[in-house]
This record gives sequence, structure tokens and C-alpha cells, in this order.
Amino acid sequence: MNFLTPWALLLSVAAAVPLLLHLLRRRTGDRVEFPALRYLLRAEREHAREVRLRNLLLLLVRIAMVLAVAGALARPVGPFPGVGHPPTALAIVLDNSASSAAVVGGSTILEAEKRAARDVLAAASDADRLSLVTMDGEVRSGSPDALRTALDALRPMDGAGDLAAALRRAEAAVAAAALPESRVVVLSDGQRSALAATVADSGSVPRSLYVVPGARPANRGIASVRLEPPYWNPRGALRAQLIGDSVAWRVEVAGRSVARGRSTDGVVLARVQDLPRGWHAGSVELDADDYRGDDRRYFAVHVGDAPGLTADAASPFLREAVATLVTSSRARAGGQVFIGSALRARRPAVLFAPADPLEITAANRALARAGVPWQFGLKRQGPAPLRGASVDGATATQWFSLTPLDGARADTIARVGSDAWAVAGEDYVLVASAADAGATDLTVRAAFVPWIDLLVSERLGAAEGRALEVAAAARVTVPTGVDALEFPDGESRPVAATAQIAAPSVAGVYFWRRGAARVGAIVVNAEARESELAMMPADSVAAALDAPRGESTPESLARAAFAAGGRRALDTPLLLLALVLVVAESWLARRGHAARSAD
Amino acid sequence: MSAPATGPLRPDLMDPRTLAALGRLEVISRWLVDGVLNGLHRSPKKGFSVEFAEHRAYQPGDDLRLMDWKVAARADKWLIKQYEEETNLRATIVLDVSKSMDWASAPTLLTKRQYAEQVVAALSLLLLRQRDAVGLIRFDDQIRSAIKPASRQLQFTRLVAALGESGGGPASDAGSALRQAAQAVKRRGMVVLVSDLLLDPQDVDDAVRVLRAQGHDVAVLHILDPAERSFELGVGESLFVDTEGGESLAATPAEVREAYVETVAEAMAEWRARLSASGAVYEPILTTEPFGVPLRRAFARRQRLP
Repeated sequence: MNFLTPWALLLSVAAAVPLLLHLLRRRTGDRVEFPALRYLLRAEREHAREVRLRNLLLLLVRIAMVLAVAGALARPVGPFPGVGHPPTALAIVLDNSASSAAVVGGSTILEAEKRAARDVLAAASDADRLSLVTMDGEVRSGSPDALRTALDALRPMDGAGDLAAALRRAEAAVAAAALPESRVVVLSDGQRSALAATVADSGSVPRSLYVVPGARPANRGIASVRLEPPYWNPRGALRAQLIGDSVAWRVEVAGRSVARGRSTDGVVLARVQDLPRGWHAGSVELDADDYRGDDRRYFAVHVGDAPGLTADAASPFLREAVATLVTSSRARAGGQVFIGSALRARRPAVLFAPADPLEITAANRALARAGVPWQFGLKRQGPAPLRGASVDGATATQWFSLTPLDGARADTIARVGSDAWAVAGEDYVLVASAADAGATDLTVRAAFVPWIDLLVSERLGAAEGRALEVAAAARVTVPTGVDALEFPDGESRPVAATAQIAAPSVAGVYFWRRGAARVGAIVVNAEARESELAMMPADSVAAALDAPRGESTPESLARAAFAAGGRRALDTPLLLLALVLVVAESWLARRGHAARSAD
Repeated sequence: MSAPATGPLRPDLMDPRTLAALGRLEVISRWLVDGVLNGLHRSPKKGFSVEFAEHRAYQPGDDLRLMDWKVAARADKWLIKQYEEETNLRATIVLDVSKSMDWASAPTLLTKRQYAEQVVAALSLLLLRQRDAVGLIRFDDQIRSAIKPASRQLQFTRLVAALGESGGGPASDAGSALRQAAQAVKRRGMVVLVSDLLLDPQDVDDAVRVLRAQGHDVAVLHILDPAERSFELGVGESLFVDTEGGESLAATPAEVREAYVETVAEAMAEWRARLSASGAVYEPILTTEPFGVPLRRAFARRQRLP
């Protein structure tokens, strides 16, 4: 409790006055002749206990009266339970992450959270400023009725969402309301995997927490789906990792079932062929259980002809790699994609640095002629580990620094130390080491051929664009040349190339479009951690969310949202208390007057 | 209480302070009595001549002079005439003039003694006008004056003169005064005790029982200052001192008022019960009440005398 004018508390010293008067009164007073003293003596004798009690009550009431007035003048601000509450800026952070779809006690966790939220809204008044914040970061503000309507329409999102971001938005919303009282109410499923780390400091906005109780169901689901290879040319395989065993599964691509079976080891392996060329949406689906959020997992695949590759005749490693890919039908011999030294640079190509530093200048000229906006720089010596997709574990012994020219746009797909080791631009991949064992041991590792296959498939092959798996509502950069995003229902929505957009919050496959052509996809699936439904202990949840404690019932949450944590000026209640005490003092002091008058 | 705003003033209904300011006691008394008599619907006066009351059947041994011969001749019925006895009441008023009676809770109020003297004077005059005999005994810790009952016109002058005599003794001995009153009233009569009843109840009770045993009608007018009833003294914490006994008690009226009022009510109830049990009438009167109230009560009682 705080005091706006704490100096006024000094007036509480005046409470000693009634006490002193009470103690000293027997020594004061005038001498009054009173013939009926015998009645007074008798009254004193017969009613001594009552009189003493009333005197004591009078003393206490008078002291309390002084203290109440002094307290009111000190203008305290603090919690004040009871009817009504001060205007409060309240934001309800509702965890509608994928795991909220789990069924507990006959209804989903999300429904339980909605009920708690409705209880909170029922306790709100018109003077409150209310907001509803969901895990996708959306903030809905308005009247209790408007938020109730929003609650009715709310569905679980197909991802974990960002609780920390939702809390920040909730705090921003209550701050924008600029009311003296503010509070963030967090409705959570208490999922351990989502709350493993402390989410956020509550700062100046107090938090109230409610965790939906009840034992979480046992769960079967799909943890991941991987395409082997990422692009099917035209054959391919799908490997899925399951949660739980002895699960019946079904694979669907382009709207038709292409494989089904039962897994006893937690792995799904399905081989697919004879699919039509082009981008397709697919999914792996399991039989339903009490948590549907991970019973289906989506993927996108491009089915096309095997790319034609031309290997640099000067490099035995590259020749063998291309031959292996051709033998395994992953490529055709003699195509337009060049795999070789930058000295013979052209596009599309996977270009390696020359082995001799004296050839760097010639290589840079060749790159410039081919329109590759990068140049080789200073020679570096290793060994140093490589980091990047499919190159982890390999090392580079010699490489050249890669320097971008003006306007160069490329992805760094592998690094060596702090240097870029491989960069990928539009129809080219440039590697900082030579394609021989003296420059990098990647060439003699088993991962080399698949890495070349990956580069060709993803960056240079017949496939147009890439499939990127993202979490629901994650930020995504629109690829160059894309002008629309195609939704699963076929509707296309325009997007600005190179802009950042929020991925949809509903799981599924969304294709990038350039005109009428699909040029890639984003695949939205729930994060694997959402499949782990185990709860965190209540105290740990409160600690993670920086809340004093978790409320045990929706009713107690509603009270806490506005009353227990609410702070308001207490001067008026104290003045009212003082007034009541004045009346009580008057009544006590003059009790009996009415009886006498009636006689 | 003040007189009504319209209509003729009734002295018996006037505020005691206002009436007391009008003049001497005897003048006030005449005004009061006139007011009382004017306010009555029917005169209670009777018995100045032999008045027929009723017939009863003749019984052997009855005085034949009382036989109604006219009825016997006319209806052949032997009936005896019965007459109301012509009785001049002999009343003795016993007035407490002890020091406690010389007290008023405010300077603007009459003291209990002043008020009681007005009542006594008016009551005496009322009785004398009915040709009753009235006597007066004034007492404090001793008999201060005693005037035997008489119905002469000069009696009122003597009574008024006696009322002006001193008093104010430190205590009250009502028992001896009442016993002396019993001796003064030989025949059956009325004894009216006017006092603030700050007396020994047993002493009073014993005396009243004796009076009642002798066939007297006894009335006790309990004169009270309003503050004695309510303890509304307008003072804070004070040392209250008995005017007679010298005892004292420190108290705050606001704090003990309720208990005091209850105690006084209990005491008055005890007086009423005790005196009723003895066959006496008990009437509490506040010194702020119009004089007519006690007079009217006394007169009504006079009507009930046998």
C-alpha cells in the first residue's frame, strides 16, 4: 500500500487524545450538585460492566475515527476487495497453441481457457479497457461482448506461437490504455516444453495466471517428415518420425492416397513414384487420438525430370559424383547444369575455387563474364570445420575469401569459421575451396554426392523454388519474383516480393506463385515440442510467467483479475468508515435517549 | 408546555415558569383552581345536603324513620330510603421541604420545592372551595410546620403563609411526618405526600400502610426535575455531589445516561409497585408539566373517595 500524502499519517498521533482523555477523565470535571445521586450510584453499581464496556467501545471507536481520518488524509492506494473495481486495462493472453487442442476432461484445453476468459470478462465493467491476445500475436480489443464474440470464433492454431511476444503485446495494449490500473491475465495449458525457459519479466504490469487443470492425454503423433531427396525426379521417398509405435499411417499427395501401412518402430518409410510433374501438397496422417494437432503433418514436393549435369572433366571427384547421380537416376548426363571449376564459369553451375592461388585472377574474370556477382579474395589456410546443411563434419584445409560485388544477393549455405564457404545465388552456387581432397575433405566423404544432389535439386535443378517448412505465424521473407501466395483452398493472395509476412497460423501447404506458376512453397506444421503435452508443476509455471501464483479456479482468476490485484485510492472508503464511526460514536454516547423520551 | 395559541388561556395548562412569574402564590393558586374547575365536565361536589341515593327492602330492625311511607301507601311495598352520607373530606398534605427539593437543573426552571408549593397551594384551594378541610405538614429531617385540617376560609391564608416558611434540612424524615399526619386526620380522610421521594422507601411504606390501615386515602406525588429523569445536564465529566448526604461520584452523563435512565425507571416502578401494594396512589410529576395535571389527578381521586 502506498500513500500519496504520507505526512498526513502524523495526524494519527491525535488518536492518543481520546486515550488520554479516557485515562485522565476521572481527574477532571466540575462539581455538580445532584440530589438524585442515589440513582446515579445505583446505575453505576448495577450497570458498571455495561458502562465500562461502552466506555471502552467509545474509546476504541474514537481512536479508530481519528485513525480513519488520518489515513484518509494520507490518501492510501492499495488493494481493495469488494464491490466494484477501478478502471482497469486488462489483457487476456490466451494460449491457443496447437497443444490447446488436447482433450482434457471431455473438452479441449482451449475450451476450458475460453470459459475462464468469459468469467474474467463477466467481471469487467464498461470503464475497463479489454484486450485479447492470442499466440499468433493478434490483439483484439473492445467491449466484453466483442471479446466474447472473438472467443467464440477462436480456434487452436497449428503451432506453438510465441508466448513471449504475446505477453509483450499484451503489456503494450494495457500501456496504451493509459489507465491507472493494469493487469495481464495469462490462460495457459502449462505445457512443459513451451515453458521450459522463463518467458518474460512482467515488468510493471502484474500478471494473473490460470493453468487448465487435468491430466493430459497420452499422445501419438508425427514428429517430422523428410523427403528423400527433397525433390522427386520423379521418384522419391518419404520418411516420417512418429511419436508412439504401432500406429496406422497414410500418405496423401495431391489429394490422393499414395501409401499406407502400420509402423511398429516409430518410423514411416513410403516410396512414391508415377506422380505428375509439378508442385504438390502432401501429408502424412495417423489415426485420431485425444490430441489431433500432430496427427497430420504436411509437406510439399516438387516432382520433375532429373536435371542434366555436365561434370568438369578436370576434376575426378566431380566426374565421379555426376556419374553416381546419373546411375541412380538422380540426374541425366550431359545437361546444362555445369559442375566444375570457376575458371570455366557459366550458369547454371556449381563452381569451385581453383586449387592454385595464381589462377584466382583468371577465375574472377570468368565469374564476372558469367555474371556471378562474387569474387575470390585472399587465400585462407585450415583445417577448419565446415558448417551447413549436409557438410557438417567435413573440414576445409584451403579456401579463398568470398567477396560480394555490388548488388550481390545470395544465401550463405555453408561456412568455414566466420567466412562464407558456399553461397547460392540465382542459378549458381559458388564454393570457396577447390573440388579436391587437398582443399577440403568433403570431396572424399560420403556426404559429397548427396550434397551435390541437394545443390542441384534445390538451387539449380529443374525444380523451381524451394519448399520451406515454417512454424505457424512465423515471419517469412517472400522470395524474389513471387507475387502471390496460394492457400490450400485455392485462393491466391497477393504478396510483395522480398517483403516479410507472417506465415498462416493454420497447418497446411501454401504455394508461392509467380503468375499462374507455382514457384515454391511454405509448409506450416506445428513444432515438434507441441506434441509433448506433459505439464510443468504449477509453481514452476508461475515462476516461468512471473506471476505471483496460479489461480485454482476461473472464479478466483476473475476476482484476482480486477479485485485482489487491483489498486485504488482508499481515501473515500476510509472517510466513509470515519463517518460510520462518527455515527457509531454518537449512537453509543447517546444510547438511551430514545428510551427516555418514550417514557 | 405553553398555552395554545388561540382561545382563552387556561392557567392550569400554562407553563409553570410562566405562571409563576405572574404573581404571588395565592393568586396563582386561584387562577389554577379556576382553570381546573372550568376544565371539568361535571362538578364532583356533593354531600352538602341530604341526598336520596336508593331504596332497599325493609329488614326487621331498620329505623322506621327511614321508611318511604309514600311508596308503602302507593305500592304497598316497604322500602327503606338510603342517603349519601354528607362527608366533608379531611385532607392533609405532607410536603417535603428538604434540601434536595431546593434544586433545579437549570436556572430557568422552578425548583422542585417551588413547583410543589404551587401544587400544594392550588390543591388546598381546590379542596377548600369544596368545603373540605385541608391541613399541611412540612418536613425535612424534622417537622417544620404543621397546620391541622380546617375548612375555614382563613385556612388558605395560613397555608400560604406556612408554605413561605423556611426548610431545607439536610435530610428527609417522611415517616414521622406521615405518622403525624395520621394523628392529625382523626376521621377517614386523605393524605397527600408531595416529595421528590429521595427518602427511605421502607420508612414511607410503613407509614403509608399505617395510614391505609386507618382507612385514609393516600396519594404520593413524586416531584421530579426533568434532569433527574433524563440526566440531561449539559455537562461533561463531572463530580456529582448529593445535596443531602454529601456522597459524590465522578461520571460523564453521556456515558451513564442510559443506565441512569433505566435505574430511575426501575426506581419509579418500584415506588409504584410498593405504594400500589399498600393501596396508595403514585403519580410522578415533572416540574415542567403544567400544574393542572396533578390537580386534575387529585381531584379525580377526590371523586373516588367513599
